[in-house]
This record gives sequence, structure tokens and C-alpha cells, in this order.
Amino acid sequence: MNGNKHMTTPLLEIEDLSAGVDGKEIIKDFNLTINPGEVHALMGPNGAGKSTLSNILCGKPGYHVTSGRIWFKGKDLLKLSPEERACEGIFLVMQYPVEIPGVPVTSFLKHSVNAIRKYRGEPELDTMEFIKMVRDEGKKFNLDAEMIKRAVNVGFSGGEKKRLEALQMAVLKPDFAILDEADSGLDIDALKIVADGVNALRDGNRAMLIITHFQRLLEHVVPDFVHIYADGRIVKTGGRELAAELEQTGYAGFMKESR
Amino acid sequence: MNTELPDIKLIGDELPWLKEYRAAGRREFAGQGIPTAKTEAWKYTKPNRFLSMDFIFNPRGGDKLAIPEVNLPFVAYKIYFENGVFISCDDDLPDNIEVLPLIEALMFRPELKNKTGSLADITKYPFAALNAAYLNEGVYIHVKAGVRPDKPIALINHVTAAVRPELYNLHHIVEIDKGASVELVEYYGYTGAPKSSYLVNVVNEIYVAANAALRHYKLQDEAFKAGHLALNAVNVAANGLYKSFCLQKGADLSRNETQVCLAEEGATAEVDAAYIMNGWATLDTTTDIEHLVPHTNSSQLVKGVIGGQAKGVFQGKIRIASNAVKTEGCQLHKAMLLSDEAEIDVKPELEIFADDVKCSHGAACGRLDADQLFYLRSRGIPEAEAKQILIDAYLNDVMAKVDDENIRSWIKLSQGNPLPA
Repeated sequence: MNGNKHMTTPLLEIEDLSAGVDGKEIIKDFNLTINPGEVHALMGPNGAGKSTLSNILCGKPGYHVTSGRIWFKGKDLLKLSPEERACEGIFLVMQYPVEIPGVPVTSFLKHSVNAIRKYRGEPELDTMEFIKMVRDEGKKFNLDAEMIKRAVNVGFSGGEKKRLEALQMAVLKPDFAILDEADSGLDIDALKIVADGVNALRDGNRAMLIITHFQRLLEHVVPDFVHIYADGRIVKTGGRELAAELEQTGYAGFMKESR
Repeated sequence: MNTELPDIKLIGDELPWLKEYRAAGRREFAGQGIPTAKTEAWKYTKPNRFLSMDFIFNPRGGDKLAIPEVNLPFVAYKIYFENGVFISCDDDLPDNIEVLPLIEALMFRPELKNKTGSLADITKYPFAALNAAYLNEGVYIHVKAGVRPDKPIALINHVTAAVRPELYNLHHIVEIDKGASVELVEYYGYTGAPKSSYLVNVVNEIYVAANAALRHYKLQDEAFKAGHLALNAVNVAANGLYKSFCLQKGADLSRNETQVCLAEEGATAEVDAAYIMNGWATLDTTTDIEHLVPHTNSSQLVKGVIGGQAKGVFQGKIRIASNAVKTEGCQLHKAMLLSDEAEIDVKPELEIFADDVKCSHGAACGRLDADQLFYLRSRGIPEAEAKQILIDAYLNDVMAKVDDENIRSWIKLSQGNPLPA
């Protein structure tokens, strides 16, 4: 646990963030710093507002920030549109990936890859290059070739949806991935595939924020830091052993501690 | 527009029936007047605002009479009009397909007298009356029995130089003989930015004989200040098929009206359409499918995407005569609104006088799905592009109604102008 000794610029800095949805304040004076290469787990009970945080980081419309700042690679994140954030390297593995009838996975992914390449001033991929890349990455996630011809998430099982999220992450190679309850609805095989996908991206530079209320995923993707989140803020931070401790005591003990 | 139309000398006036037909057109147009909101058939599409301008009919309106530069990305037997004036027809037509300028056909084929105005009723449709008053331009297309041409026939009207409000009047008579099977494409477009409004007023009278099939595809992409009014009047004989698809995406005021008479057993009509618009335009799709006899089928799928302060109108009528048992008629209209000011008016009408029929209609109206939009944007896709992806996906099933792959991709591509919400 030497994350604090990093001398690099933080990848993500959340400073005194207060935010919410529908006029209700959910996140209160929240602080978190994530450096390149670090994997952070944010654990908290259901309904604590963990997804609010991931949605705010990705710029989902409908959420409001009342105070505080978020810096990503030194840029004021809250001034960027959702697509600019994605192009800057943020990727959200969604808890409930949405179905998009009529849009085939390949065509969607091609739009996505090329939009990001264009933003970064890289040449767009032609269809052949693109298909080859998706096929190669798809094999790693046991995605059969038929699945990428289907409409995005339409008729996919819970496991297939998460595999598709993992495939997108592998193809887009984000600098910062947020996994929002990525383990919900996954059987053990699918969980391992997603975890392997995440681990494959760990290279000392990319960072991750794993949002979960179970320890399950953390057995496969070992975090550098574990934060207990309750009542809109982080109430305790520790190493990976904190997750195990939480499994023993439950959230109730920590929530009392915070008061 | 003044409904007292001047009597302009036109070729063919020497034929008494034609002179009288034109005169009847003038009388009917003056008698019926421009429809207002009180006219049931025009309740939602109010042409009087647009037609407050005086559109001038000029029998030789084009400035330059050369083949306009229109590149259709598919092979076809092409028939060109510029500013409503016949320019040319590809000369590689096989012998078993006849294409004649309408006025020539009317003068030399006396039998066509009975096919002129017999489907398009000038006593009911004011703009068919206007069309009759200046019946002059258009073509007669005759596909002989059993013929299955290797490529579609394309009717192209191209507007190049509207410098004052002009009326472009077109009338086509299409006869598909027994057992023939044809694709007909209509394209309405323009080059540059016409300096003025113009009005395209089209009447198609289409006869589909027994066991024949006509696939009729249309793309209306008029200039944004233009008006486009079209009446497709169709008669389908035993086991014949009339299948049409129309995408309306241009003009300030546009109506594509299709009336199909399923006159003999086994006749089928599939009338599908799509419309895409923002700005201030009104786009109207009106259908009237008449099942006259038993064992006739019809289906309609119409989908629209409307943004800005634009308005989409769908009026769909299915009429089933008292003896027309064992018929099936279904109709579905779906629209997506992209803004709060956009408007959709839907009027399904079912007139069923027979028992033992299957008939259905449905209408749905929605918005772009915010979660789908966010999902795409969260993957780096810019908002406008993401919206276009969702709109294309929304229209996918109705576009799939176009059987011909080349024509379908042409229509799909032309649909792809991003619509700001």
C-alpha cells in the first residue's frame, strides 16, 4: 500500500463534492483522489448513492452538483460533456446496460471507437481493421461472433450484457474505468471473465473505481484501496483487508461509526 | 393563390374531351377552393398559409432545358423533368415498356381518355382539379403483360431555378399489364437554394392488372420553401400487388396521399411511409384503402421523426365494403417527437361494413430514449451523431419495407441529415 507515495499528478481528484438528483442531496462533502495505476473499491449499502457518484463522474443528465470540484487529468471534469469525458478516457461499466433495438453491436462500437480516435486526432479505423480488432478482443470474453451482429444488449442475458461491457472496455482501453455494481446478475464464470478483462487492463497507468456492495468481485480484482461509503461520504478507508472485515461486521457498524 | 384560374392555351386543346377536362378542373378548383381547417380531409394540414402566395403556372417554366445533373446511386431507366417540364427519357428502354410524354399519349391513344381522371376524382380533391386544369406535363408508362424489367423506372423532377412562386404540375398514368412486375421510383429534389417558393402538384393514376406487381418508391426532398402535394390513385385487379414506400423529408408543406382500390379478389396493397422533419414544416401522409371485394389484404406502417416546430400528420383510412368478407387490413403509425414544440396529428378511420374481417390500427408516439442516448454518449459518440444513430434505428423496420436493396440504401443515406433537437 504505497499509493499515497505516488509523486505523479492524480488522475482523478474529487474535492468536497455535494451532489444529488431530483433536488435531493445524496453525496455530501465527498473527497477522493485516485492516482494512475490504482484500483479503488467503494463499498456501501444499497441506496447509499454509489450509482449517483458514477453517474455524476460520467455526466449523466439529470444530476446536479451543488458544490465541489472534480479534476480529471487536471481538467475540470464537470465542464465536459459525457462524450468528451469518454474521449478523455473515462469508461463506465454500467449496472444495467440499456437495450438499443435496431443498432447492431458492431456498428455501435465502430461509431464509438472512431469518435474517440477522431477526438484524439488519430485516423479512423476502416471496417476491416475494426472487425479484426473486435474479433480478437471478443475471443477473450467468450463472445461468439453472432452476438456482435445482434442489436446492442437486446435479448442478452445478464451475463452477456456484462461481457459486452467488458468487450467495449477492452476495445476502448480507457485510462479510468468505473465498474458500477458490475458483478450484479453474474454467475461465477461470467464474473471471472469480467474480472479477467479488468485485470488485463491493469498496467500501472490505468486506474479503476469498483463500486460494489459485495466483496465478491474484489476476490478477483484485488483493490489497492477500499473505501466504506455511507450517508453520502467515505467513512473509512483501508487496504484490501477492509473488505473482508466489512463482510464480517456488515455496514451497520460503520454507519454508527460515522455519526 | 387565386382559385379563379386563367384559361391558358395548351397543346391538346383541340381534343374536345381534353379541353372540357381542363375546364372542369378550373371549375372544380374554383368551386372547392383551397381547403381550410373546416375541410375534414385537411383538418390538420392547412395549405392556406402556404398557398397565400400566388403560384404561377408557366407551361415552359424551365430556364435551361438540359438533362439536370441528378446522380441516383442505382441503375434505372430514367425519365427527367426539370421544373415540371419533360426533358428526356433514357433511350435504352426495351420494346415491351412504353414511355410517352403524357400529352403525346393522350393525342394518339384515344383509349387513354378513359384512364384520365378516372381514378383521381377532381370533384373530391381540389388539387387533382388544379392538376386537371393544367393537364399538360407528365408521362404515360405502359409495361406490357408478363414483363419484368431488369431495372427500375425512375421519374425525376428536379427544380433548378425558382425565381418566383411557380406551379409545377405533373400527371403520370401508369399501366402495369397482367403478370408484369415493375419497380417505379419517384424522386423530387432541387439544386442550389431556390430563391423562391414553388409548388409541385403531382397526380399519379396507376392501374395494376391481374397478377401484376408494382413496387413504388418515392423520395420527396424538395427545397425548404417548397410545397409538394401528391395524389397517388391506384386500382389493383385480381391477385395484383401495389406496394409503396414514400419518405418525405423536404418542403415547407407536403402531403403524400395514396388511395388504393382493391377491386378484385386477391388484390393486395402495402402502403408504407416515413417522414423526417424539423424547422417549421408540415408533412402529411394520408391513405385511403378501399376493400371492395372479399379476400383482399392491406397493410400500412408509417413512422415519423419530428423536431423543431414541425408537424407530422397521418390520416389513415381503411374502408371495407359490405360484401368484402375474409379481408385483412392493418395499419400502424408511430412517431418520435424530438422537441416540445413538435406536433403529431393522427387520424385513423376504419369504415367496416362486413363481418368476418380482420382489421386493426394502432398509433404510438414517443421521444428519444434518454438512457439510450446517454449510453451512446458515454461511449464517446457526440450527441448529434448519437441521436442520428437512434433515429436511424427507429426507422429501421419501416425502411426494411423497401425490397430493393440499392433503393433502400439510397433512401437510407438521404435520410441521414442530423436533426438538431
